[in-house]
Amino acid sequence: MSALSFLKDSVFSDEYAGCRGFLQARDTRFKVAIIFLLLLAVLFSKNIYFLILLYMLCLFLAMFSKISLGFFLKRTWIFIPLFSFFIALPALLDIFSPGRPVLSFNLAGITLRITQQGIAGAVFFFVRVLTSVSLAALLVLTTRHYALLKALRIFRVPQIFVMTMGMCYRYVYLFIEIIENTYLAIKSRVGFVHSVKKGQMIVAVNIAGLWQRSYILHDRVYSAMLSRGYCGEPKAIDEFNSDFKDWISLTAAILLFSAGLLWQSCCLS
Amino acid sequence: MAELLFELKEVYFSYLGKFPALCGVDLSIEAGSRVGVIGANGTGKSTLLTLLDALVFPDRGSIKVMGRELTESVFNDSVFTRTFRKRVGFVFQNPEVQLFCPTVKEDIIFGPLQLGVPLMEVRKRLEKTSAALKISHLLERSPHQLSIGEKRKAAIASVLAIEPEVLLLDEPTAGLDPQTTRDIMDILIAENESGKTIITATHDLHIIEEIAGIVHVFGEGRRIIRSAPPAELLSDQEFLQKHNLAHIHRHKHGNVVHVHPHVHLEHHGQEKESHG
Ligand SMILES: Nc1ncnc2c1ncn2[C@@H]1O[C@H](COP(=O)(O)OP(=O)(O)OP(=O)(O)O)[C@@H](O)[C@H]1O
Ligand SMILES: [Mg+2]
Repeated sequence: MSALSFLKDSVFSDEYAGCRGFLQARDTRFKVAIIFLLLLAVLFSKNIYFLILLYMLCLFLAMFSKISLGFFLKRTWIFIPLFSFFIALPALLDIFSPGRPVLSFNLAGITLRITQQGIAGAVFFFVRVLTSVSLAALLVLTTRHYALLKALRIFRVPQIFVMTMGMCYRYVYLFIEIIENTYLAIKSRVGFVHSVKKGQMIVAVNIAGLWQRSYILHDRVYSAMLSRGYCGEPKAIDEFNSDFKDWISLTAAILLFSAGLLWQSCCLS
Repeated sequence: MAELLFELKEVYFSYLGKFPALCGVDLSIEAGSRVGVIGANGTGKSTLLTLLDALVFPDRGSIKVMGRELTESVFNDSVFTRTFRKRVGFVFQNPEVQLFCPTVKEDIIFGPLQLGVPLMEVRKRLEKTSAALKISHLLERSPHQLSIGEKRKAAIASVLAIEPEVLLLDEPTAGLDPQTTRDIMDILIAENESGKTIITATHDLHIIEEIAGIVHVFGEGRRIIRSAPPAELLSDQEFLQKHNLAHIHRHKHGNVVHVHPHVHLEHHGQEKESHG
């Protein structure tokens, strides 16, 4: 149940999207483009200093967007162990990154050596993941979900897709609430759920009920759409408004991206 | 005599072919009238409105709209469909169903946009309806974040934005506070005075007198058992009680507990005076 609440809070809260910060004020299309450019810059960069610079930029952007730094770090670092464990850790070893050994140890009869190149590679990888995740988090945290969906329209995603996604988002929330309320109702009636087995049964019964409900709901929602004149082809207004600050930000992102590329080629030559 | 808007003859309807919901309903509704539909739970009020909005079609019997028979096949005609949807608006009993867009604003503009109303006009209607229902501050919110009453107001706004000539309202005031109920009643009455037909299903006997010139009562047999002006019905205690329609009050005088039915007619009168 707490997992459910976590989902609800993290996916559906638009606490930060509602603040009046720097990123929140940007036109969604521009914001998507800017974040996309910065992500590309991260992807192409082979320079650790440039990556660190980009990461700093993320933190600044978070600050200017009124996202509390503690929350932001927690939100982004939570993914790091996952990635680092599977990718960065093996990369430390000489099997994957041959080079000058720094430390060697025995594991089940095999001698493993951590190499200097391995460490550099792992650190680089780590910063790259961290920066990418932070950029993505910035976008998601500062944008209302439906706005994000609508921004898909600039990539010529069909309206029907955008609308269906929007409705999924809308009703998944309703279902989470139904599950939560059912759970509360059970709790209030029987006090608590005695055994895991019984709990599982209750969940199974609920899922069956939920399936049925979603079916009826689908029917009714479709009638509600028909009733308001829907005839198979949704129409919506794509409303965006950009100002000069959006253009300045975009230009800055382009400059940064080019600088990254330039830096790269200088280092190579 | 006014133009006949809906004409139902011997209408039968059942869900999935096995759950009867309407069993032989005869009904005529004139254009510009105020019609109330009352009845105990599960007697077919919502089903009737769904039929009138042509979202489902009768198993037997006929429904005519302005002389034209409503069947599934007439809705293959896209011109007719559009005209019908423009002219008839339906506020569902469950606002959760009615608000399917990510924001309240998108829900309000959904109808007009689908029906091809020009953009300028859509914006104007958005402003007008959200101001009328006092939900301008909720436009950017997601429907799931609203209280039940707010949801209901948003649902009503989403239908009013279509500016239909016929308003079908399924429990428009359920779960609303007295002031909001008052506001919505005023809006509906104003709509009616400007010539629109309002058809309301409700359990709220307080509002029935204002919102209906004639009331149709659905009985356990899932058909209309009585049609009468509201004042006549409200004064017939025995009838109301028999069909689960009266409010039954229980209170204490000293040590004696009184249980008596009561339809708030007295309060209602006072209320009117203080408003007038
Ligand atoms: N989706 C459905 N599937 C099967 N039966 C249904 C369905 N919806 C309604 N019914 C049945 O049809 C009958 C009429 O239902 P309807 O919703 O029209 O009643 P109502 O008068 O609006 O009741 P309420 O006052 O509770 O809203 C009920 O007996 C109900 O059980
Ligand atoms: Mg009903």
